Amino acid sequence: MTTTRRIFLKTSVLAGAGLVIAVDPPRLAAEEASDDFSPNAYIQIRPDNRIILWVTRSEMGQGVRTTLPMMLADELEADWSQIRLEQALPSPRFKGIRLRTSGSGSTVGTYGALRKAGATARTMLIAAAAEQWHVEPSSCRAQSGAVIHSPTNRKLTYGSLAKAAARQPVPEKPPLKDPKNFRYIGKPMKRTDGPAIVSGRAKYGIDTRVPGMLHAVMKRSPYVGGKVASFDPKPALVVAGVRQVVPIRSGLSTGVAVVADHTWAAMKGAEALKVQWDPGPLKDFDSDKFLLEMEASLDKPGFFVRGDGDAVTALPSAPQKLEAIYEYPFQAHAPLETMNCIADVQGDRCEIWVPTQTPLTAQEEASKLLGIPQENVTVHTTLLGGGFGRRLFVDYVPEAVELSKAIGRPVQLLWTRSDDMRCGFFQPCSILRIKGGLNANGSPQVWYQTSIHSELSMIGFPTEKDLQDPMHFFKNEVPWGAFDHPYNFPHLKSDLVMMNAPVPTGPWRAVMYPAQVFARESFLDEMAHAAGRDPLDLRLDLLKPGDVKELGEQRIDRARLIKVLSLAAEKANWRQPLASIQGRSVGRGIACNVYSAECYIAQVAEVSVDDTTKDIRVHRVVCAVDCGQVINPAGLEGQAESGMTWGLSATLHGRIDFKNGGAVQENYIDFTVLRINEAPVFETHIVPSQEMPGGFGETAVPPVIPAVANAVFAATGKRIRRLPITPEKLKA
Amino acid sequence: MPNYVLQVNGRPQRLTADPDMPLLWVLRDLLQLTGTKYGCGIGICGACTVHENGLAVRSCQVSVAATVGKNYTTIEGLSPGGSDPCQRAWLEEDVSQCGYCQAGMLMTTAALLRQNPGAGDAEIDAELSQHVCRCGTYQRIRQAVHRAARDGRKA
Repeated sequence: MTTTRRIFLKTSVLAGAGLVIAVDPPRLAAEEASDDFSPNAYIQIRPDNRIILWVTRSEMGQGVRTTLPMMLADELEADWSQIRLEQALPSPRFKGIRLRTSGSGSTVGTYGALRKAGATARTMLIAAAAEQWHVEPSSCRAQSGAVIHSPTNRKLTYGSLAKAAARQPVPEKPPLKDPKNFRYIGKPMKRTDGPAIVSGRAKYGIDTRVPGMLHAVMKRSPYVGGKVASFDPKPALVVAGVRQVVPIRSGLSTGVAVVADHTWAAMKGAEALKVQWDPGPLKDFDSDKFLLEMEASLDKPGFFVRGDGDAVTALPSAPQKLEAIYEYPFQAHAPLETMNCIADVQGDRCEIWVPTQTPLTAQEEASKLLGIPQENVTVHTTLLGGGFGRRLFVDYVPEAVELSKAIGRPVQLLWTRSDDMRCGFFQPCSILRIKGGLNANGSPQVWYQTSIHSELSMIGFPTEKDLQDPMHFFKNEVPWGAFDHPYNFPHLKSDLVMMNAPVPTGPWRAVMYPAQVFARESFLDEMAHAAGRDPLDLRLDLLKPGDVKELGEQRIDRARLIKVLSLAAEKANWRQPLASIQGRSVGRGIACNVYSAECYIAQVAEVSVDDTTKDIRVHRVVCAVDCGQVINPAGLEGQAESGMTWGLSATLHGRIDFKNGGAVQENYIDFTVLRINEAPVFETHIVPSQEMPGGFGETAVPPVIPAVANAVFAATGKRIRRLPITPEKLKA
Repeated sequence: MPNYVLQVNGRPQRLTADPDMPLLWVLRDLLQLTGTKYGCGIGICGACTVHENGLAVRSCQVSVAATVGKNYTTIEGLSPGGSDPCQRAWLEEDVSQCGYCQAGMLMTTAALLRQNPGAGDAEIDAELSQHVCRCGTYQRIRQAVHRAARDGRKA
C-alpha cells in the first residue's frame, strides 16, 4: 500500500481506529523480568532458550502465524523449533504498533519491522557473547539460536546470553542479512497451526470458554436498521435453560438477547420471543430498484478520477465505437465462523475474547460504552474462522459488553448463520459503464469510463469539502482498479458518481477491485473481439513499451505486468486450441491486474458450457504472480487458490438481494459459495523477485471474474455483464 | 429433562438435556468438545460432521434423543495424537487456512475412506460437496484425500 492510501484510511476511518502506521522503533521493554531479553515489543528471549514472538496480526487463514515467525527466525538466526507464538493484545507494550489486519498488509507491514527486530536482538546477543569471551563481535556469528566464536568454535546459546544481552546498547541501525543467506524466507513452510487444526484443538472465538460463562443469541430485526418497538419475553423465558431476556441497543443490528445455559436454549428462546419491530427508514429498500437507480445516474456529473488526452472529443470521431454496462451485485462475507464475542464486565473492568481483525477498536468501543479507561479493557484476539473484511467491524463487541454488564456475568454472544448473512456489512453493488473507441486499424484509442460506487460505510463518506476538490479521488487513489488502470490509451477519462447504498457496507476481500477489474478486463476482451485481435496480444500492445506509469504516488511497472501476462499465457498454452468436449463448448479467457501498485497478477481460465443445459464448468485456472519477495511460497500458493475460489464464488453464485428492507438470502442454501465439486485445478506460477513484498491476501480475487466471463464468451459467444454468470443468463 | 448416556469417543458421558437438543450443542456446550463446529445449523455446510457408528452425520441434525444406543466419534477422538492417515495427509498437503471447516472435512473423509478405501474423484466430490470451505482449500483437500487413501492402503 502506498502512503496516500494509508493516510486516506487513517484519516477517514472511525476516529482512532488504531491505524497508526509506524516504522516500529526498537526499544527496551523495561517492564519485563530481568532474566529475559526483550529488545523490542515483538520478541522475548528466555533463559530456557525459548523465543517468544508476539504476533501483531490476527490469524484468519492468511498464515500470519507462519509467515511472521519465518521473518523473525531468519533475521534473528533462531532455530525454527525455539519460536513460540503469543498473540499481541492492545497494551502499552504495543503502543504505536499496528495490531490491525487489513488491506493485505500483514506481510508488507511487518517485514521491515520484524527483520529489524530480529537484527537488533541478534546484534545484541553477539555483543554479549563477544564481551563474555573478550573477543571482537566481528569474529562471532549467529547460527541456529546460538552465537559462535568462529576462530575457536566456542558457542553460547541465546538463552544463556539473554540476561547479558539485555544490558547491551540497542543498536540504531543493526545490519540486515543479505537475502542470498535467507534460511527460511522464500522457502515453503507448513502452517504452524496445522496440527492443532486437524486434531480439533485449535480454539476460535466460538470455542473459547470462560468460567461461569452463559450463552446468548439475539433476535434481530428483519429490517436493516429496524429497532425494537416492544417485546414479550415470556415465550422465551419458558424455554428450558433460558435465564434472562435483555434488549440490546448497541452494535449495528439492535434487538433482544436471550441468555441461557447453552447456545441451543438461547437459539430456541430467541426464536420463541415475540418482538414488534419499528422497521425504520429502509423498510421499502429494494436492491433491484437501487441498481436501476444507479444505472439511471450514469449521465450525472461525475468526479474526476483520471484524465489523459481528450476522450470526450475523440470518442465521437473514432471509426469504431463500443459501449457496455457492467453490474456487480451486493455480496456477503459469509465466513464459516459466525460473528461472536465473549465479554466479562466486572465493575470498572472488562475482559473480551473475540475473533477480530481489529482488537484496538474493540477495546476503544468497549471503553466508550462502559465509560471506563481504555486500559481497563483487555482484549484477547482468538483465531478467526475467516475474516475477509467482515471482522474489521466490531459491532458484535459492544453488544456482548452491554449484555455482560446487564446480567453481571461473562457471556458469549453468538450470531446465527441467518444473523450473519442478513445483519452485517455488505459489499456494495456497483454499476460501471465503459465507452471505447478504436481507430481504423483496430487499435484502441479511447477509454471513457463512468463508475457508480457506493462509499464504504467504514471508510466514511467524503465530506462536501472533499467533493469540491477536483483531485480528491485521484489523491485517494480510488476507485481501485479505475484509478490504477494500467493500460496506455491516448484518450482516457474516468469519472466516479457516488451513490451511497443505505444499508451497512464495508470492505470485502479486494474491496473495489472485483467490480472494477470485472468491467475493465471484460471490456478489453470486448475491444479485442471488436478489433479481431487476440485478447492477450491486445493487452501486451496496450502495455508497451513496458515502462513505469506514475499515478500520484503509485508507480505501476508495466514490464512486471507484461511478464505475468506472458507467463500465465505460456503455462496455459494460450496459443494452442483447447481439447473439445462432447456436448459442451470450451473456451479460454485471460485477465490481469495490479493490486495497489505492488502485486502483479494474470490469470487464464478454461471453461466449458453444456450446449443444452448451459451448465458452466471452470476446469482450470492458471495464475502467474509477481508480488516481490515471497516469504512463504506454500502460503502464497494457498492464498492464490483461496483468492481464486473466493472470486469464483462471486462469478458463479454470489449475490445478496434486498427486498422490503431486509436481505433475502440467509444461509449457504440461498447464498451459495463454491464447493469442491465445482473447484477447478489451480496452477500458480511465481515470478522470482527481491522487490519489497507485496500483500497477497486479496490479489488473486479480482482477475478470475473477468477471466471466466471472457472464457464463457469464447465458449458461447455470449457476453455476460451482470454477475453472477448463471446458466439461466446463458439461456436467455 | 431426561437423562442420557452418550457414547462419545469410546466413553459414556452422562448428561441432562431436552430431547430435541442437537448433538452439536451437546458436544460443544455440555461436553466442551468444541472441535465440532457450528456453521449453518441446517445440515448444509458440513462443519459439524461427526461419526455415528462409523458413518459421517451432521451433528446439528441429530437430536440427543436419537443418539441412544449409538457410538459417536468427534474430531477429538478420531485418532490418538492426530495419527489417522487423513490427519497426517492434511498436514503433509498443508491443507488448512483458517481451519474452521477442516474438522468436518476430515470426519467425512475418514468415514469415506473406511467405507471405500479406493474412492476416486467422483466419490470424493459426492461426499465433500456437502461441505463448505470459505477459504477455498478444495484443491489441497482433494490431494490430501488421495494421499490418505494411498497411505491407508499401505498401512
